[in-house]
Amino acid sequence: MALAKVAEVAVVDLNLCDRCGLCLPLCPPESIHLQFNTLVIDATTCTGCHKCIAPCPVRALSMVAS
Amino acid sequence: MPDVDVLVVGAGPAGSVAALEARRAGPRCDVLLLERDRAVGAPVRCAEGVGDAGLREFANPDGAPWAARKISRVIFLAPDDTEVKVAERDVGWILDRTRFDAFLAGEAVAAGAHLSVGTEASGMSRTSDGRWAVTIRGPGGTDTVRARVVIGADGVETMVGRWAGLDTRVPSRDMESCAQYVVQGIEFDPDAIYLQFGDQIAPGGYAWLFPKGEGIANVGLGILALKSKGRSARDYLDAWIARRYPRGARLGYTVGGVIVHPTITRTTTDGVLIAGDAAHMVNPLSGGGIVNAMKAGRLAGRTAAQAIAQGDTSAGRLHGYHDAWMRMLGEDHLRYYRIKQALERLDDDFYDGLARTVNAIPQQKRTLGRIFAHALVKHPQLIPVAARFFV
Repeated sequence: MALAKVAEVAVVDLNLCDRCGLCLPLCPPESIHLQFNTLVIDATTCTGCHKCIAPCPVRALSMVAS
Repeated sequence: MPDVDVLVVGAGPAGSVAALEARRAGPRCDVLLLERDRAVGAPVRCAEGVGDAGLREFANPDGAPWAARKISRVIFLAPDDTEVKVAERDVGWILDRTRFDAFLAGEAVAAGAHLSVGTEASGMSRTSDGRWAVTIRGPGGTDTVRARVVIGADGVETMVGRWAGLDTRVPSRDMESCAQYVVQGIEFDPDAIYLQFGDQIAPGGYAWLFPKGEGIANVGLGILALKSKGRSARDYLDAWIARRYPRGARLGYTVGGVIVHPTITRTTTDGVLIAGDAAHMVNPLSGGGIVNAMKAGRLAGRTAAQAIAQGDTSAGRLHGYHDAWMRMLGEDHLRYYRIKQALERLDDDFYDGLARTVNAIPQQKRTLGRIFAHALVKHPQLIPVAARFFV
C-alpha cells in the first residue's frame, strides 16, 4: 500500500514518558499504543498533526523529520 | 486460561465494581478481572477527592483505612488569592486510592471474581461463535481468553473501546493535562479542599490542594494545552507551589490526563461495554470521575450478567446500559459541558469580582442558591452561562 508522505512524525522519549496514556485518545489516526506498559507510536500511520505534543505533562513527545 | 463469561479489563473503581456486580447479578457467571499494573491501586493518578453521598452508595468511609481525610469545607481562591469559603457540611472525602482500589478489588474477589494482576490485555478479536478472544500477557506468559462479554474499564488510554471499533478519541480542547505532587510540611485548613482558578495559574483548568492529613496534601493542577503558551502542566504546578507553598517537601509526583468531554456516543457494541474514564464519564466541569466510574461499573456488571443469563449479548441487548447511564448522569454531563464552554470565555477580572460578591454575603447565609442569585444580579456576564445549563 502506498502511504501518503508526511514531513514529520511523533516520537517518544521513553526516559521521560510516565505511561499515563493521555496522548492515546488525542491521536486522530489512533497511532499511539500502550503495549506491555510501553508507549509505541506507529510511524507508518502518524499524520504529523502535532496534537499529542503540547498536552504531554512531561514533554516526552516531539516531532522528527520522517 | 479457561474461558469466562465476563472479562473486565482494568481493576480501578469502574472495573472492580463491574466485576463485583456481575457476580452479584449472575452468581453462575465466571468473571475475570485483569489489572495491567503489578499492584491494584498503584501508581495513583488521581487527586483522590470524592463526594460523600456518592461514595456511600458503594462503601462506608467512617473509620475505613482507605479514607484519608473527611472534608467539610470548600475554599475557592480567586486569581488574586481572595479566599471564598462556600460549603460547610458533609462535602466529601480524600481517599487513599492505593488502599481504596485494593478494597474494591477485594470485594469483587470475595464475591467470586478472579483477579489477575500484572496482566495486560494486548488485543482482541471476534470468534466464530460470537465471543471475544482476548490476548493477554501476564506472569504466566501470553495466553488467549474467550469471553462472552468484555467490559473495558481501562481508563484514559481506552484500548478495549478502540479494539471493539468504538470511537473513544478526544478533541484537544477536552483533555486536561494534569500534574500533582504529594507535599508535606505546609499549612492549610485540613478540613477543607482548596481550588484556585486563573489564566496565569491553570489556564483552562484549576489548581487544587486536597488534604491527606494535617500538613500533607495532594497539590496539583490541570491545564488545557491549547491555552498553555508552551508551558507544561508541571511547569505551571512548580510555579504555583513555589508561590503558595515554598517550604513544602515534594514527596512524589504524578501526571495524567483527565478527559473533560461528554460520554462517548456509543459505549456498547456486540459483547462489549465501556465504563468509567474509558467512556469519558468524568464530570466535565469538576473533573471528578471516581463515583461516576463506580456507578457505570455497577450498571455494566449487571447488564453483562443479565445479558449472559438471557443468552443474548448483542449490541441491541447491551445498549440498555448506555441509555441507563445517560439517564443517570450522562445527560447531566452534557449540561456541565456546556457550562464549562461558557465559563471558558470569562477572564480573571470576572472571577476576582465574583469572589468579592460572594464574600459580601454573610458566611452563614452563603447557600449555593443565594450565591447564584447574587452572582447573576451583580455579574450579568453569568447569565449566558446559566442559560447554557438549560439549553
